[in-house]
Amino acid sequence: MNEHYRPEPGTPMEDLDTPCLVIDMDDLDHNMDVIADTYKGKSTKLRGHSKNHKTPAIAHRQIRRGGTVGGVCAAKVSEAEVMVHGGISSVFITSEIVEPMKIERLAALADQAEMLVACDQSSNARDLSKAAQARGVEISVVIELETGLARCGVRDTDSGVALAKEISALPGLRFRGVMSHQTIPDMPDREDRAVEAARTIKGVIDLKNAIEGEGILIDIVSTGETWSYDVAADIPGVTEIQGGSYLMMETHYSYMTEFHYAGKILTTIISTPRPGVAIGDAGVRAVSSLSGMPTVFERPGVTVAALDSDHAVFKLESGASLKVGDQVLLIPAQQDAMVSRWDRFIGLRKGKVEVVWDITARGCHN
Amino acid sequence: MERPIFHPVGTPVERLDTPALVIDLDVMDQNIRTFQGYFSATSVKARPVVTSHLCPQIAHRQLDAGGTVGGIAVTTLGEAEVFANSGFTDILLANQVVTVSKIRRLCALAGQTSIGIAVDNPDNAKQLSEGAVAAGAELRVLVEIEAGMGRCGVTPGADAVALAQVVDGLPGLRFTGIMGSVPGPKGDDDPSAHEAKSRANLQVILDNKAATEQAGLSVSVVSVGGTHCYAQAIQMPGVTEVRAGRYPLMDHRLKPFLPALAPAARILASVISHPIDGMAVLDAGHKATAPDQGRPVLEGIDGGIATRFSAEHGIVELEGDAQSKLNPGDKVWLVPYELGATVNQYDYFRASKNGKLEGFWPISARGRLA
Repeated sequence: MNEHYRPEPGTPMEDLDTPCLVIDMDDLDHNMDVIADTYKGKSTKLRGHSKNHKTPAIAHRQIRRGGTVGGVCAAKVSEAEVMVHGGISSVFITSEIVEPMKIERLAALADQAEMLVACDQSSNARDLSKAAQARGVEISVVIELETGLARCGVRDTDSGVALAKEISALPGLRFRGVMSHQTIPDMPDREDRAVEAARTIKGVIDLKNAIEGEGILIDIVSTGETWSYDVAADIPGVTEIQGGSYLMMETHYSYMTEFHYAGKILTTIISTPRPGVAIGDAGVRAVSSLSGMPTVFERPGVTVAALDSDHAVFKLESGASLKVGDQVLLIPAQQDAMVSRWDRFIGLRKGKVEVVWDITARGCHN
Repeated sequence: MERPIFHPVGTPVERLDTPALVIDLDVMDQNIRTFQGYFSATSVKARPVVTSHLCPQIAHRQLDAGGTVGGIAVTTLGEAEVFANSGFTDILLANQVVTVSKIRRLCALAGQTSIGIAVDNPDNAKQLSEGAVAAGAELRVLVEIEAGMGRCGVTPGADAVALAQVVDGLPGLRFTGIMGSVPGPKGDDDPSAHEAKSRANLQVILDNKAATEQAGLSVSVVSVGGTHCYAQAIQMPGVTEVRAGRYPLMDHRLKPFLPALAPAARILASVISHPIDGMAVLDAGHKATAPDQGRPVLEGIDGGIATRFSAEHGIVELEGDAQSKLNPGDKVWLVPYELGATVNQYDYFRASKNGKLEGFWPISARGRLA
């Protein structure tokens, strides 16, 4: 862990050691305010996904600014621990937790905060019940329905209803509702997004109705993500939206123009070996090339031609110039992968360090 | 930080909390002996590149095994600082350091331990000289030659010789020689075609050694990289050291090029869902595997292939008998495609012997990219 590097507030960006992960505070606050405004007066709220920022300080900031249910999602038990220890009072683990030692950790957390967890199989529900009973705690369970990612989740309404009946009868568990994830290809406009959200989310609403038809109460229908944060909230029955990419943003979501690119990698040119080529000190280990090359921020004519482990190769069109020592900001194609490589955010406002946030859940794979 | 469960020493590795990056120490030690053994009867020696594992314990084992120059190579200044603090006394930072604050850090480090640095432009050489003089330190300088990577490095020929002369005349710097990196194999490269390409690239570096010596300079070090081109480098007189990083732990990408070595670092993952026939979902996604440069490979399940990695989930497609083999809670092994990117996602290696945990080894230089 990079313990030594913690620039003082007020340090200008030009003086930062690179590569580093910077976050523009104006853009971050703007993105948070879009969320707060979108859900104002609506019964549907955001449950922000902490897997994207892995930082309790950022989770608290969004909760304070508004538009949320007051809790977060987490992908892993260890990530949930960091959020609970960081003072978040309600955490929804949106993955199935099946190994005995992880279930124990989850049950221990349920003594400290409201813990919700996704479930798609009855044997897992029974394991969760046993652990909760043994500790005298209650674990909230949400059934995951598969709606397009071809991943986890029950595959049809009947299986979901059967599982809901089983969970409702198990001691130590509180059956809360249903969840789903979905994705959308290409560069959709708002209408495309609304149509696709309605189509994919219909399954989870059908499941909710079928379970309620059996006399079982449901208070959570959790679905949606950044691409559907607004349109999914208009679908009757949806109570909370899972979203996280909107905070840092990424070029994969470039069509969501209401959000700003807040999270970037700052890199320094270390070599200009040939005309038209410059080499930066950030590579795959810093920014990730999953989902594509990073994009150069506000330097016309400069593109990333290649990304090695620790170097970016920039191509310069005629008219563009970079010299050794110049700094370049990179926007990720995928912010999630980028953030997962860093121990800290350096928050900049108007080009000066305002805050340094430890990414305390970085590396929480367990 | 990773927040694993720190199981007691002796725990069977298959019972470890997942995902976990596990090293088989016997396989690793054998890889180190085999690879460094190639250098035992030649004047060319290995310089371990620790960027591939970022773990001082492993680097000490490499230097203890013989066949090396007695020093290591790193890629970032932060890595150099960590390894200097772990007792390494000869560190080559095989990269450019250009900013004022980093040059200050570099020269401070050179006051504690012997530091080599790569230079590819004369202005940078002057700044390093000023920094070294101000700190009362000396930097060993290697002129980096562009040898096919399309990255850093001065153009071979007159420019490279001129740069060596500039370095040689500057106080605080000791011109010690030249270095170059040779591009590694791409996924579908044929090993023999790749060898020929490596030889041609290495010759570019050696031609520059000759040209620099003709200009009256003494070139005591010719440092080339990386692991994949060791066999050609050993056969080419004039090369003094091979910078190599991936051989102790290996990865899938390098396997066809170093068939005598075996993967020693693997990711242990758990099945968390088996929602339909023909598919199992793992708890290791791209954050636990870093498949940026290629997907990790599922080991030991005939008819099972790891096909997709989203942020937190890995998808295994199962055919034939394998369909009924993987159930929730079952463990599987994944061999990383690209070692460096995978190691970068973890804080600890789970070191193991004979299938039992030996300890948690800190990946001390993880995240030290600056």
